[in-house]
Amino acid sequence: MPRDKKPVVFDTRKEVDFVIIGSGASGGILAKELSTAGFDVVVLEQGPYRTAGDFSHDEMNVMILNEMTSHPLWKDPQTFRQKASEKATVRQSGGPPPALYSRGVGGSSVHFTANYWRMRPIDFKERSALGSISGTGFSDWPVSYEELEPYYTRVDWEIGVSGAPGPFDAPRSRPFPVPPLPVKSSGVLLEKGAKKLGLHAQPAPMAILSKPHNNRPACVHCGFCMGFGCEANAKSSTLAAMIPLAEATGHCEIRPLSTVFRIETNETGRVTEVAYIDAKGSQQAQKAKAVIVAANGGETPRLLLMSESSRFPGGLANSSGLVGKYLMANGHSLAYAFFDEPLNEHKSVQVTRIVHDFYENDPKRGFYGGGGIDARAFIQASPILFANTGLPPDAPRWGKAHKDLLRQNFTRRLALLNSTTSLAQESNNITLDPALKDAVGRPAMRITYRDHDDDLAMMGFMQDRAVEILEAAEANTIWRDPVIPQDVLAHLLGTCRMGDDPKSSVVDPYHRSHDVPNLFICDGSSLVTSGRGQPTMTIQALAFRAAEHIANFARRGEI
Amino acid sequence: MKQQKSDRRSFLADTGKLAGVGWLAMNAPMLLAAGQAAERQREAGKTWTNMTPEQALTFAAVVDQIIPPDDMPGASDAGVVYFIDGVLNGFMAGDAEMLKQGLKNLDSRAVASFPGSKGFISLSFDHQTEILRAVETTPFFNTMIFLTHCGMFAMPSWGGNRELGGWALLDFDNRHAWQPPFGYYDTLADRGESNHAEG
Repeated sequence: MPRDKKPVVFDTRKEVDFVIIGSGASGGILAKELSTAGFDVVVLEQGPYRTAGDFSHDEMNVMILNEMTSHPLWKDPQTFRQKASEKATVRQSGGPPPALYSRGVGGSSVHFTANYWRMRPIDFKERSALGSISGTGFSDWPVSYEELEPYYTRVDWEIGVSGAPGPFDAPRSRPFPVPPLPVKSSGVLLEKGAKKLGLHAQPAPMAILSKPHNNRPACVHCGFCMGFGCEANAKSSTLAAMIPLAEATGHCEIRPLSTVFRIETNETGRVTEVAYIDAKGSQQAQKAKAVIVAANGGETPRLLLMSESSRFPGGLANSSGLVGKYLMANGHSLAYAFFDEPLNEHKSVQVTRIVHDFYENDPKRGFYGGGGIDARAFIQASPILFANTGLPPDAPRWGKAHKDLLRQNFTRRLALLNSTTSLAQESNNITLDPALKDAVGRPAMRITYRDHDDDLAMMGFMQDRAVEILEAAEANTIWRDPVIPQDVLAHLLGTCRMGDDPKSSVVDPYHRSHDVPNLFICDGSSLVTSGRGQPTMTIQALAFRAAEHIANFARRGEI
Repeated sequence: MKQQKSDRRSFLADTGKLAGVGWLAMNAPMLLAAGQAAERQREAGKTWTNMTPEQALTFAAVVDQIIPPDDMPGASDAGVVYFIDGVLNGFMAGDAEMLKQGLKNLDSRAVASFPGSKGFISLSFDHQTEILRAVETTPFFNTMIFLTHCGMFAMPSWGGNRELGGWALLDFDNRHAWQPPFGYYDTLADRGESNHAEG
């Protein structure tokens, strides 16, 4: 989006009101809200400042060479293991990194699929309803759905969400601003299968505009959506929906290619400045009255752990010992099918219909969990990934028969993706790798993660339901990915959880760290439970709410 | 969540070649340059940059085994070898030697299995298939499948997908805008001839 005037530039040695670390789903909202309220804001973003004109349909660059997520030239490797007893290693097979997120202004809201499910009232108090779950940190939230609802509505209207109410949705105070996106063949087939089974498909709420809204255009259905940046500004990333408004205030500087390595504190235990490597490779430090960490549920705890000092041993804001703990990724399982006629799932957005009949926990299943099903093209929407990963496991991998299957089925396939709960476990966490460093000398992010047995059971349960739906929809070929512990985590949640008690949480209900009065943390790390997948809607509702409270604290001199 | 089964090997983790944090400056232009050079070379009918003519012929035979020509283009028709020539000096540089050793191995196997033959490309199509069956789970052949798909279906600026023949095979059209209805089933629903279940 062209900018009318040159954005403001702040002196690093002048104390600004806020430094926000990260410009993604939450950081973009905080930047817009606080700058609009008149505060001077510097946003430090490690990735580049791409805009709509920089995005393309080049599948090699975006999906194969991972231009936006893990390009090797970043030289920021991650290590992974399932258990603390194992040595964490860098994945040698290439492919997406264990903690998958997009680097650049707008963060992962640029490349996401844009499913925007609200949580339901039960999500915030499920521990009270169900009781504790042994060996987990399963807890209630310190906020309720009712308290968050006005902010969910702000996300709908200010970020821009297309949709229509479904039969099981939580109550909403205002309709969706724009109607659902046009149904695709995958959505029609999901409806058909669901209806036969007595289930209830509903239009998918998507942060992609079906009609012009807030001076942004409607989706043109190009199909390069999941994993790609939107060339039309119709996908409601914070890059499209928030950052231009923030810059237009004259109070917000977005500083791309700024790799933060430390948050500095003084002798009184307050945050004073944020140290980073700038685009030219020089060390800089931006002074600020307050700092908001919004770097995502992986990078936020990594940075806090890196910022330890004699006053804050074990990491900044970590008196609870919970910084980095309770990592939740949501469970995912997949079933795929071919149909007789062309669906053409390479066109338009990924998801147009979802099934939420299995959202709630059901004791009869014998394990904790819940989830939703959506119909989508998945990563095989584009030709190279289809050819490499889009055929059933028993299909010929080369030769004439392989070519015939590619030819027949690129247009005739879909996936049902199940998104499910993750239980909070201390053993799933982000820590600093003791040996490996990145290009600027920061300890590499070490991810320790194994889905809880209940999470795996829920993934399998949902996959069985998905297969039943595909059978009912009269697919001619159906197959599934094995349900195994996940090692690519696209949702990074729970690692600085919110709570009233400083002993069992990292931030208070307003996202202020319990330990440092002028340090706030607001991103996926704040979530107490995982929801049923699609966490961005809740991350952003929390960000709108946090921004309101933080602005009030600042005005009242309470920071 | 994305369980990619593709065989991109460790080249994506090999970060040894370039230093510094000027990522923006070096990323897309550099990567694209290799492909665009390959495309220009193909269009100009020039010779190979990163392989010998003999290696090019063997690569062509292998990629045509993976996606053979029929009424639609095969992989070498689509320019996949030009794509490979480009990326051998780009993101595949770390695997170039492994691939060339793999070609040599095919020649050795050809001579061993068919005494008197002059190497892999001198064999009949079916005999080539037989040789490749014996190596089809090797890193070499997995990488060849991966590269054949990339060259066949990437944007033509990468050197392959000549005249969009790869995309035509899939009935894929890279447009920047579409209008509903998109497919057979939503067209039916749109016309009110919904194939929704009756009960």
